[in-house]
Amino acid sequence: MDVQLKVRRQNPEAEGEPYWKEYALAVPDHFTLLDALIQLREEVDETLSLRCSCRSHICGSCGMRVNGHANLACKTKLSDLHTDTVTVEPMGNMPVIKDLVVDLEPFWKKLYSIDPYLQPAGEVPEREYVVPADSMLHLDGVVNCIMCGACVSDCESLSVNPLFIGPTAFAKEYRFVMDPRDAADTQRLMQMNGPGGVWDCTHCFQCVEVCPKDVAPMDRIMAMRKMLVDDGVTEKHNGARRQKAFADLVGRYGRLDESRYLMKSVSMGELAGYAKVGLRSAMRGKLPPLVPHRIPEAARIRRIFERTRSTHRRRFKLHQQAQEGSRV
Amino acid sequence: MIYKHGVLVVGAGLAGMRAAIEAHNQGVDVAIVSKVYPVRSHSNAAQGGINAALGEGDTWESHGYDTVKGSDYLGDQDAIEILAREAPAAVLELEHWGVNFSRDEAGHLGTRNFGGASQARTFFVADITGQALLQVMFEQLVRVGVRMYNEWFVTSLIEDGGVVRGIVGMDIRSGQLHAIQADAVVLATGGMGRVFEPSTNALINTGDGMAIAYRAGARLMDMEMMQYHPTTLKGSGALLTEGARGEGAYLLNSEGDRFMKTYAPNKLELASRDVVSRAEQTEINEGRGIDNCVLLDCRHLGKDLIMRKLGQIHELALELAGVDIVERPVPVRPGFHYPMGGIKTDVDGKTTLEGLYAAGECACVSIHGGNRLGANSLLDTVIFGRRAGAAASARSRTAGSGAAEGSRLAEVALQQETDRLRALLDRPYVGELAAKVRWDMGVNMVKYCGVFRDEAGLTEMGNLLHSLEDRATRVHVGDKGRVFNTNLTSVLELQFMLDLARAVQLTALTRTESRGAHTRTDYPERDDEHWLRHIQLQYASEGPEIHYTPVTITRWEPQVRSY
Amino acid sequence: MTTYAFYPGCVAKGGAPELYQSMVAVGEKLGFSLSELTGAACTGAGVISERDPLAGDVVNTRTFAMAEQLGHPIMTICSTCTGVMAQVASRVNHDADYRAEVNQYLSDEGLEYRGTTEVKHLLWALVEDYGLDRLKDLVVRPLSGVRLAPFYGCYIVRPSKAVDPLTAGREGYLEQVIATLGADPVEEYRGKDKCCGFPLLETNRKSSLALTGKRLDEARDVSADALVTPCPLCHLNLDGQQPDTPTASTQDSMPILHLPQAIGLAIGIAPERLGLARHIIDTKGLIRKLAVAG
Repeated sequence: MDVQLKVRRQNPEAEGEPYWKEYALAVPDHFTLLDALIQLREEVDETLSLRCSCRSHICGSCGMRVNGHANLACKTKLSDLHTDTVTVEPMGNMPVIKDLVVDLEPFWKKLYSIDPYLQPAGEVPEREYVVPADSMLHLDGVVNCIMCGACVSDCESLSVNPLFIGPTAFAKEYRFVMDPRDAADTQRLMQMNGPGGVWDCTHCFQCVEVCPKDVAPMDRIMAMRKMLVDDGVTEKHNGARRQKAFADLVGRYGRLDESRYLMKSVSMGELAGYAKVGLRSAMRGKLPPLVPHRIPEAARIRRIFERTRSTHRRRFKLHQQAQEGSRV
Repeated sequence: MIYKHGVLVVGAGLAGMRAAIEAHNQGVDVAIVSKVYPVRSHSNAAQGGINAALGEGDTWESHGYDTVKGSDYLGDQDAIEILAREAPAAVLELEHWGVNFSRDEAGHLGTRNFGGASQARTFFVADITGQALLQVMFEQLVRVGVRMYNEWFVTSLIEDGGVVRGIVGMDIRSGQLHAIQADAVVLATGGMGRVFEPSTNALINTGDGMAIAYRAGARLMDMEMMQYHPTTLKGSGALLTEGARGEGAYLLNSEGDRFMKTYAPNKLELASRDVVSRAEQTEINEGRGIDNCVLLDCRHLGKDLIMRKLGQIHELALELAGVDIVERPVPVRPGFHYPMGGIKTDVDGKTTLEGLYAAGECACVSIHGGNRLGANSLLDTVIFGRRAGAAASARSRTAGSGAAEGSRLAEVALQQETDRLRALLDRPYVGELAAKVRWDMGVNMVKYCGVFRDEAGLTEMGNLLHSLEDRATRVHVGDKGRVFNTNLTSVLELQFMLDLARAVQLTALTRTESRGAHTRTDYPERDDEHWLRHIQLQYASEGPEIHYTPVTITRWEPQVRSY
Repeated sequence: MTTYAFYPGCVAKGGAPELYQSMVAVGEKLGFSLSELTGAACTGAGVISERDPLAGDVVNTRTFAMAEQLGHPIMTICSTCTGVMAQVASRVNHDADYRAEVNQYLSDEGLEYRGTTEVKHLLWALVEDYGLDRLKDLVVRPLSGVRLAPFYGCYIVRPSKAVDPLTAGREGYLEQVIATLGADPVEEYRGKDKCCGFPLLETNRKSSLALTGKRLDEARDVSADALVTPCPLCHLNLDGQQPDTPTASTQDSMPILHLPQAIGLAIGIAPERLGLARHIIDTKGLIRKLAVAG
C-alpha cells in the first residue's frame, strides 16, 4: 500500500518556523501509523523525532494529531483512514519540543496538583480493604487511562483557559473520589469546585471522542458535578444554580425558558453583565415570551424528576461506613 | 553538570519506583532516572496478574515449590523462599496503596488461574494488572516526592576499581550530558526484548542496564534462559495474556485438536510457558500449524466474560490482527518475551560490583531459573525492588565521604562520554544503519536462539555476531542535532544489545543440556549431574569469561518435571 | 413523502424564534409534513442528565414513545437536542432491560417505548430522505459568490459512537447542503466541529467568549462571509454574544445563519419571512452580497 504522510516538523535548534514535510512510503497493508513513522525514521529521515514505545496502546507515548484529531499512532491503522494524505502533527495545547515531541511538563504538573494518590482514613487493615466487587470493577474504566495526553491535546476549554485542570487529571480525580478506600473525597470535590475545576469544562465531548482507551473523561467530570451538588459542596456556584434552574423550569413548564433560566443560574452581581445582551436581544425581538409557554401535562415532568431522583444512591465509602458504625 | 544523590535508581518501572520509595522511606536522599516518563515503563504491559499465597488453604511453600518446579530447578531456592514468603505482604501493600484488585462476591481479593500454578493464586485487575500497578506505584512516588530525572538516557556507569560511584546520562530533551554521583546505584532498567525480532517487548526494552553493568564489570547470569511466551499475536508479535488460558481458553492445532493433552495431560494449556511454547513449536514444525501459528480459542468463554476480564486483548486482537476473539479463534505463536537471566545479584539486589544493585527484569537473583512462571514477574519487581532499595540505602548511610574522589571520577567519566558521543556523531556515512543491524541481529537471534537450539545454529549465530559487531562500528548518526535525538540513542542502544546477544549466544552454546526455556535438540535431556549450576559471564576485552556457580537448594530436591 | 414528528426544541421557540419561523417557511416550500410534538418536554440539553442521568433518559424516552405512537421519525432543528436524544437512544434502543426500567416511569401516562424511534436532524433528513437533487431543483437564487462556512458545533458530531454509528457516511453533510445552495462551503474552515463556548456561558463567561471569538477568528482567517449552523445554541453565542468577544471591536462582524435560513434564501423565500432581522449581528450586508434582497 502506498501512503502519503504530511508531517508537521519543527526544529528548535534551527530556530525555524514549523513547516510541513511530505513523505511517500510503500508499506504493508496491516501497518499502523506508528509502523510507518518508524519505517520513515529508520530508512528515510533519521532526523524525525517522536516518542513511541510499546506499540500496543498501553504505554501512552505516541499521542499525536492524525488528520486533525489526537490519537495514538500505534492505534491508527493506515488502511482505516480513508484519506489520500495522512496529516501528522504534534498534540495540541502543549508546546512543541521538536517535531512530534511535545513538552509534557505542564501536563504532569496538572496531574500532581490533584494529589493523585489514595488517601485512606483510619488504621490500615491487616488484610485487604473489604469493598464491593463492583466498586473495584467500576474503577477499571478510569484505571484504563494511560496518560497519553490525547484528551488534553484536543480539550477546547484548555485552549482558552490554561488554568483548567483538564480531562486527564479529572479522570484521575474521579478514580479516587469513587474509590471506597479514599477518604479525601470532600477535599477533592472542593478543589474541583474551584477555579479551573469541573465547572470550567465546556462539554464539547472532544476528550470522549479522542480517548484511545474509552475513559470518557467528560462523563467523569459530569459525574463529579453531580456529586458536588448532591453532597452540598456547592450551592452558590453558577454550575449548581444552573442544574437547579434547569430542573425547576423544565419541571414546571416542561421546557426551558431562557430568560428565567439565566436569572436563576447566574448571581445578581453577574446579571448586570448580561443586561446588555438582554437589551440587544429585546431590541431584535428575540426575548422569550413574558409568560412562559407551558407544555400540556407539564406536571408529569416534575413527577418524573421526583421519582428518578428518589432512586439516587450515594457512592460507597469505607470511612463513612465506619462512622455510621455499619459493616460492609 | 554534576549532580549528587545518596541513592540513584535507574529505571522507573515497578522495580525502580519501588526501590526509590523504599530509599525515601529509609530517609535517604534518593533520585530516579528514566529514559521515559515513569508511566510509560514496560511494567504496564504485564496483563495477567501477580502471584501470592494469600488465599485460604494456600501456602508459601506451595507457591515456592511451583516456582522451583517452573524454573526447572535452576532457580535459587533461598531467593525463591523469600519471594514466596514476602508475596502476601507485597500484594496487600499494593492493595493498601490503591490497586483496585478484582474482588470476589464478598468483597475480598479474587484470584484467577495461571500457568504452572497448583492453586489459583494470581491477583489481578482485569487484564491490565501491570498498568494498574504501575499507575499506583507512580502515585506513591509522587506522594513521597522522589526527585525524578525523566527522559534521561544513561550511557554508562562511573566505576573505579570495582566500585560504582554514579552514572553518566544524557538529558534527551536538551541533548546535554551530565553526571550523577551516588553512594549506591540501583539498576532497574527492565528487559532486553529488542535483541530479538519479533518480541512482545516495547521499543525501549534494549537491555541498557544489563549492558552498562556488564561493561562496568558486573556479572551476568543465566543468560541462556530466554522465555518465549506461548500466545503472541501473529504479525505484530503483541502479547495476549496467559490470563486468557487462565480463564479457560483453548489452544488448537490445524486439526482442531487441543494438542496440549499430548504434552501436559494434567495442566493442559496451563502448563508452564516453556512447555506450552515447545508444544506449539513442535505442532507447527510437524505440519499441524496454520501459517506458522496455532489457534487460541476464547469463543466458549462468552462475550460477557471476555469484555469484563479480557477487554484489552479483545481490543489488541481486533485492532492488530482484525480478529474478534468473541467470534473467532486468533492465530498465536511463541514469541520472545522475557529473559530469566540478567545482572547477577544476591537476595538484596547486590551485584558483583560494590555500590551497584539491580532489581526486576534486568536482574537475576535467580528466582526464575530456567523458566519464569506467569505472574511472578510483577511480584519479582516489588519484592526485590524494595529489597534493593533497602540495601542501597544502607550502603548510602554508611558510605564514607569519598565525595572529592567521586567528583573527580565523575568529571573524568563525563569527559570520556562526551568524547565518545562526539565521535559517534562525527562518524562518516558509509551506508550502515543502526536499524538494519538491529533487525539482522533480532531475526537471527530468534532463528538460532529460539525455542529450539543446537550447536550448529548457535555457532552460526556466533559468527553472525562477529559481522554484526563489525558493522555496528560503522553505523552512523544521521541526526546531528542535540534536542530529542532519538537517532543517537538508537545507536547507543544497538551497542548495548549486541553485548547481550553475544551473552545469550555464548551461554546457550555452553549449556549442553535441555532445561527450562533452553532446549538443545542435540542435548534433549536435562542433565542434573553436570548442569545443575548457573553460568555467569564477566566482560573482558579479549572476550567474555565464563564462570560456573552452584544452584542453591534448600528444601526441594530436583525431580522429573511434568505437567 | 416522509412525515416527521417535529421537535423544534426550546430555543427555537424562545431565544431564537427566527429559527422556528424560518423552518416553518422552508418546510412549507419543501413540502415537509411536520407533525409537531407539542407535548414533548425539553431534552435537558445535557444539564438534566448532569443532575440526574436517569431523569434525562426518561424524559427523552417519553418523547421517543410519543413519536413511536405517531409512527414517525423525530426531526429536530437543534444539534444539541439531536445529540442528547441520540445519546439516550444509544442506551435505550438496544438494551431491553434498561428500556424496561425507564418505561416504568412512563406507564402512568400509558406510554411505553419499544425502541424503534429514529431521531434525525433536519440536516440528515435533507440529505438522506429529501435528497440534495430535489433541493437543488428548488434553488432559484443560488448563493453564488459567497463563502458560507459550516459550523456543526459539538453535539451533532460527538460522541460519534452515539450520535452517528455511520460517522464516515454523515461527514460533510453541511458542506454538501451549502454547495447545493450554490455557495462556497469553505472546506478549510477548521472551527467547524469545535466548541462555540455556549455551555460555559454561565460558569466561565470569559472562556465562553474566548471560544466564541476563536471560532469567529478562524472563520475570518479563511475569509468566510458568514457561518451556517444547525444548532441554535451555537447561534446564541456566535451571534448573540459576538459583540462581547475579545476581538469584536477590531474585526468585521460575522453574520451567523441558521440552516433553514440559508436554505430559505436560496429557494426564494423573502429574508423578512426568515427572521433575518432578528439577529444581533446585522445580516443586511450579507443579503446585499447575495443579491437576494427583493
